[in-house]
Amino acid sequence: MAKWHQLVAALRFLFRRRQVEQQMDEEVRSFAAHRADALERAGIEPAEAERRARAEMRSFEQVKEEIRDVIPGGRLADSSAKDLFYALRMMRKAPGFTATVVLTLALGIGGTTAIFTVVKAVLLDPLPFPEPERLAIVWVDLRERSVHRAPGSGFELQQIRERSRTLEALGGIWATNGTFLGEGEPEQLKIGHVTGNFFDVLGTPPLLGRALRPEDEDWGPSPAIVLSHGLWSRRFGSNPAIIGQTVRMGEASPVVVGVMPPRFQMMFPPDAQVPREVQAWMTFPWDYSSDGPRAVRFMRYVGRLRAGVSPEQAREEVAGIASQLREEFAEFKRGNVHLNVVPMHGDAVREIRPALIALFSGVALVFLIACVNVANLLLARSSLRRKEIALRAALGASRGRVFRQALLESLTLAVAGGAAGLAVAWLALERMVALAPPGVLPQGTLRLDWAVFGFAALVTLGAGLLFGLAPAWQASRVSLLEALQEAGHAAVTVLRTRGRAALVVAEVALGFVLLVGAGLMARTFVEVLRVNPGFRADGLLAFEMDLPGSRYPDDAKRIQLVRGVEEKLRALPGVESVGSISHLPLDDYPNWSGPYKPEGASDEESRSLMADHRVATPEYFSTVSAQLIDGRFFTSLDEEAKRPVVVVDEIVAREAWPGQRAVGKKMACQHRVQGQFYELKSAEVVGVIRHIQHHALTRQERGQIYLPLSQSVRWHTSVVLRTGGDPLAIAPAVRGEIAKLEKDLAISKLRPMTFYLDRALAATRFTMALAAVFGGLALLLATLGIYGVVAYSTNQRVREFGIRMALGARPRDVQRQVLREGMALALAGLALGAAGALGLGRFLQSLLFGVTATDLPTFFACAVALPAIALLACWLPARRAARRDPLAILRSE
Amino acid sequence: MLKKADVLRGTLDLMILRTLELAPMHSYGIAQRIEQITGGAFEVSPGSFFPALYRLEQKGWVRGEWGESENGRRARFYALTKAGRKRLDVELENWESVQLAIQKVLRTST
Repeated sequence: MAKWHQLVAALRFLFRRRQVEQQMDEEVRSFAAHRADALERAGIEPAEAERRARAEMRSFEQVKEEIRDVIPGGRLADSSAKDLFYALRMMRKAPGFTATVVLTLALGIGGTTAIFTVVKAVLLDPLPFPEPERLAIVWVDLRERSVHRAPGSGFELQQIRERSRTLEALGGIWATNGTFLGEGEPEQLKIGHVTGNFFDVLGTPPLLGRALRPEDEDWGPSPAIVLSHGLWSRRFGSNPAIIGQTVRMGEASPVVVGVMPPRFQMMFPPDAQVPREVQAWMTFPWDYSSDGPRAVRFMRYVGRLRAGVSPEQAREEVAGIASQLREEFAEFKRGNVHLNVVPMHGDAVREIRPALIALFSGVALVFLIACVNVANLLLARSSLRRKEIALRAALGASRGRVFRQALLESLTLAVAGGAAGLAVAWLALERMVALAPPGVLPQGTLRLDWAVFGFAALVTLGAGLLFGLAPAWQASRVSLLEALQEAGHAAVTVLRTRGRAALVVAEVALGFVLLVGAGLMARTFVEVLRVNPGFRADGLLAFEMDLPGSRYPDDAKRIQLVRGVEEKLRALPGVESVGSISHLPLDDYPNWSGPYKPEGASDEESRSLMADHRVATPEYFSTVSAQLIDGRFFTSLDEEAKRPVVVVDEIVAREAWPGQRAVGKKMACQHRVQGQFYELKSAEVVGVIRHIQHHALTRQERGQIYLPLSQSVRWHTSVVLRTGGDPLAIAPAVRGEIAKLEKDLAISKLRPMTFYLDRALAATRFTMALAAVFGGLALLLATLGIYGVVAYSTNQRVREFGIRMALGARPRDVQRQVLREGMALALAGLALGAAGALGLGRFLQSLLFGVTATDLPTFFACAVALPAIALLACWLPARRAARRDPLAILRSE
Repeated sequence: MLKKADVLRGTLDLMILRTLELAPMHSYGIAQRIEQITGGAFEVSPGSFFPALYRLEQKGWVRGEWGESENGRRARFYALTKAGRKRLDVELENWESVQLAIQKVLRTST
């Protein structure tokens, strides 16, 4: 009760401080005035009376100070300012110490804040659309083929639209490439072909003009096109008069009806193959609504839920629609087609979430290590300052006051570290955005906003308490007598060092976890590097070209053009060979995958068989150094012969004819004939090659079937050149040659093939780089921590060592003892850390490739590296201890 | 029992409480009164007087209120509270026992 009463009084004082102070002041003055009155009455002159009264009061301030001591809380409020001043003075007095602490904290707080900014932008911030929680993605689940996140057809879209009551609207998009022909260079763009209601579903209003509308689905002679802000500012100089003008986009001449705002991005998950940046949107060039139940699935659906409908309700309803469709249509029953509704935000970030969580955990560990290190430094220093603290206690500072003072010093350091941390966060973000491969970090939304500042403030405060409490407590327990006697009694020192030893163990443990994480990421990177992509990228130059139908109306014309280009380029000096392929490996050109059927296999057996289809010229294989396993590549004879042939990769060969030789067998697969129809046509397998990685280095999605260009012609192809040296050196010659051949031929993406390989590696490289930075920081901080503790405790025990050496111990013995004690700490930390790493590893698993989270070599390497560094950290102080002259030590005491 | 260190401080407390028992007084009045009664033997220094007074107020034994003093100056008048009256009884008892103890010691040693 009494305590409570005092607390209330203290709080009241805090809030009414001014009033209370004023009252105190008045009271003291009144007292002096009365005293002066009394003296006057006793016959003393007024001026003299006043002077004497004042003198008797000593100084007003001093009396007030004494009163403050009595009022609970009175001290607190008044002394805080003094404590702060004192704390700042202590910081200035020890610049080296202050700099070390602030820098350590800045790294910890800054790193955490930077990663938090990314986590917030990607995982926490809502999608940049109006009422984003109502947006959902609808996936087609083809269970028969085990393709659970497939696109849908126009037919399915119509069916869902007609039957669903939970979806207010359902739209679709298909991203493909288009050639933009304007003034200047022709350019390949990502075009989003969308349903007329797509923009209504997303709900973002256009910056200029209007977005697409359902009426735009009727193309007519001049279809509508909406431009992205990027394209508009880059190609049209941000000219608002562009609205209503006609542009040339491949074969079409659409009219610009609108421009979207700068941050308008597509927010689909990576496997939807709709990139963030789409440069222009048009409706579909054909009528998808007339699709039948067998139609090709190509469209990614995005729907807007009716207000008040939960995603679960929608999922349930749409699942019901799928079961109706299975009842009504034999195709759906046979394919066991299901439909799934998922909230758009969760789906859009599902691949990056584990990586971000791992990074955030990593940086949080670095932060903890930084705090432990600072706690250690403060403990060491408060030990050094024991005399000073004892002196203050002797002069009347209470335990509470000393505790408060020490904590305030820590908080002051934390605030300085936090401020520096914000600068670090800002720099780190800049570097990360600059180094991150496109698509890994969100563009434009990584900002240090108020939420981030709030987070940093919270982290700073947490840090201050985390590393400040222990030293403050220790300082407040300094015993006057003991400190002033100060003979470095071994027993006392050991006890005092025990707290710090625990910190070192914790630090080493945390460091080990991070080191293992970094090691696993490094191993993953090496494993990805070691993946055989199925082709040799160095020395290869590649570019894309479009073969417009207006100029090359029939297949023969197009074949002739491609062969002509190849022939001309082959004649260039420095070019060893030239070939063409419809889909460059590891490029993002819209994929062409379809079913195939080995001859003689039943429908049942071949139902789940799918392969990526590619169209190649005979020289393509040798140009990219594809590895032939069996049979032969195409030859120019295949070009002329009417007999259909295919080359398949090892995966298709194994799937179609397990245990048998594929060469000589026949299969039906999709062909492209005169325009755009794919039909299943029988062809003979003439060769089997090693799989060429197409979608990623770390995933084999499907096998591949290669068709000769002469038998399956497309509107678009990529040309690959093998050169003897630097591929870019011949790029200008290639451009020149093409321009000579065909003035309006749009070639794009003239790049070395290593570009695609690098891009495929980029995400792994980026995660590894971050993990390495965290691991390195952890190692550095842990090393400093061990060094600090061992150096300090050896200094404290100098007398003990002196006596021992005087009694006959050799320097080597002393050195060995220090090393042994230091290593004991390191090994204890190691054991704890190994347990932690084993426990936490599974969270990393989704980021790893080619190694498991419990990879023995990695653990082993870390278990050797960390003690080795710890040994070094102990060795320096050990040697110093051993080298001292025992007599000199004993004399100095 | 009182703690040893509290004895001296307790004396001042006791005197303040005792002085206020009769009527509320302002701070200077209290100090003056103590000096008068003790015949100047007990000089009250503001440095210890004010802390004692404020401590008593914090404990709720006296209550201060602003008013006007006999020479027309603003001054804070202190009055004994109910709790203060009780406290005075306790202090008096304590004091008597301490006094008794001291007297015993003095007698035996002479």
